[in-house]
Amino acid sequence: MQNYISQQNFNALLDSLISQGKRVVAPRTNAGTVLYEPLANAADMVIDQLPRRSGKEAFFPLCEDIMTYQKEGQKIELQDIDPTRFLETVLVGVRPCDAAAIPVLDAVFSWDYKDEFFLERRKKTTIIGLACTQADDACFCTAVGLTPADPKGADLFLTPLEGGGYACETQSEKGEALVANNKELFAEPNGYKPLPLAEPQTGKFDLKKVKAWLDEHFEDPAWDSIATRCVGCGACAFVCPACHCFDIVDEGTEKQGKRRKNWDACGFWKFTHHASGHNPRDQQPKRYRNRIMHKFKYYDDKFGQTLCTGCGRCIRLCPVGIDIADILQDIDKIEVKVKVEENS
Amino acid sequence: MSSSADGTTASLYVPVDCEIIAVSDLTPHEKLFRLRLKNGAPLGHLPGQFVQVSLLGWEEAPISVASSPTRTDYFEMGIRRTGSLTSAMHELTAGDLIGVRGPFGRPFELPKLRGHDLLLISGGCGLAPLRSLIHYCEDRPEEFGALTILYGAKSPGDVLFKDDFALWETSARFACSRTVDQVPEGDCYSGGVGLITSLIPPLEIDPHRTVAVLVGPPVMYRAVIAELKKKGLSSDRIVVSLERHMRCGVGKCGHCTIEHLYCCQDGPVFWLNEIEHLRGAL
Repeated sequence: MQNYISQQNFNALLDSLISQGKRVVAPRTNAGTVLYEPLANAADMVIDQLPRRSGKEAFFPLCEDIMTYQKEGQKIELQDIDPTRFLETVLVGVRPCDAAAIPVLDAVFSWDYKDEFFLERRKKTTIIGLACTQADDACFCTAVGLTPADPKGADLFLTPLEGGGYACETQSEKGEALVANNKELFAEPNGYKPLPLAEPQTGKFDLKKVKAWLDEHFEDPAWDSIATRCVGCGACAFVCPACHCFDIVDEGTEKQGKRRKNWDACGFWKFTHHASGHNPRDQQPKRYRNRIMHKFKYYDDKFGQTLCTGCGRCIRLCPVGIDIADILQDIDKIEVKVKVEENS
Repeated sequence: MSSSADGTTASLYVPVDCEIIAVSDLTPHEKLFRLRLKNGAPLGHLPGQFVQVSLLGWEEAPISVASSPTRTDYFEMGIRRTGSLTSAMHELTAGDLIGVRGPFGRPFELPKLRGHDLLLISGGCGLAPLRSLIHYCEDRPEEFGALTILYGAKSPGDVLFKDDFALWETSARFACSRTVDQVPEGDCYSGGVGLITSLIPPLEIDPHRTVAVLVGPPVMYRAVIAELKKKGLSSDRIVVSLERHMRCGVGKCGHCTIEHLYCCQDGPVFWLNEIEHLRGAL
């Protein structure tokens, strides 16, 4: 089913959702930085910009309370968080590189034990995806098998049209419900042409080939040149739509405070550091190798999915200019070279 | 969702109250804590599992259960004072409350150990988790063949569970050997000196009916495994329990990963043939 909605009606839809008490999260400028944040008015939305951090925080916030505590003598009061009170949310303007990461994250938060914080938010969120019409040097979604028009992960998928407005495709029951409940705002397809899609310039790499190299090259001199620049700042993990490591920390004193889940990064030296002093990943190159391995080998081995959607944020933000797409291209080439040697 | 004040909670990350019944010194650095859940229920663990110990303001740390589930009135943990949480824990006394989440992780696979001769090998703090299995063997001796305990500590002052050892050494059911890496000058000590690997060559074992279970510091595994292989034990007859920095304990937070495995859920107990090919595992 395809449908049309004008920009004006789309804003009216969001305002109506806000007035119904739903949390509408969309790209919005906050102190000069565009982030996915709750809107007070649809007019605050800057849908044409890719936010600095990814859409994952609608489900997996940077910091979230697990409980608050108070202790007096032997009396301990724990007040935990009730996920059933999480608000119904509509996440708006999600580019394919962000939306595609969300089903990938479902795997880790629901295997074995279920993370009720992530899964309850996930259940209560409708995702309005947006076909991407702007790429920059860092974008490489097409290199990892996505496209700027890939609706994976979206419940309702919008394609921007010449002359304004969007073609809408429902992708799930949630998307269908959203359209059905607001059908007066949607119109028949109007014959407008879609805006040209973004064209990321990075050539496609063969993820199977990259993984095959990673499978065999845990120890390889290439890691020194790949990882030696990494300063372990963790910026790449914090802006990544697929990174999901977190820490559990107490903020407060022994008497009162909060226990929280805070984002963490495998690039930090303390990430694997034992109290005994032992550290299985005791040097930065080992930690950067883990980042690449986790995204393109380990997560695939465990959950059958790649932990990267080519959004390019880590490339844009790395303070020492590490370019993961370059690394993958280099690995892709190494493997080609090996194969050529074998055949000759 | 209910508050954990009544000891029950549906939340994965919220600890339940647990009362310290007794605290005793094992060494100057290690204490044994005897505990009971505030709600009176048994912990419900199996040997080899761990809990996330929670001290408000000090966060959480994964600690192995050192007692057997066959002893249901309490559970025990041997804790070395090494970080901030364990230092705070060492200040606590009987009657104090802590929080626990769990038990978590894959236990020693009792169904596959039953009927076999067991070589129970530990070094340093590794005796604490292994003690849960040794106590299980003590309580259910009919389930196993010959039981051999090997233990290595850094020095005589670091030897854990001396009282247990006195019982195991006099028990007809166990053959025990222990050693220390070195004896400080002036220390009156009459036992064996040498690395734990030195205890393996003299053993007479039938590699076809023996399973070796290893728990120790990271440095111990490779050397001990090499000795066991010389005795003809194959990797599917060697069990290891691995230590990693676990934060969530439930296979989410990513801290304890060994390649694609979550040590906290896929482990901490592994058969050697499951992990020996993984880089960075041992």
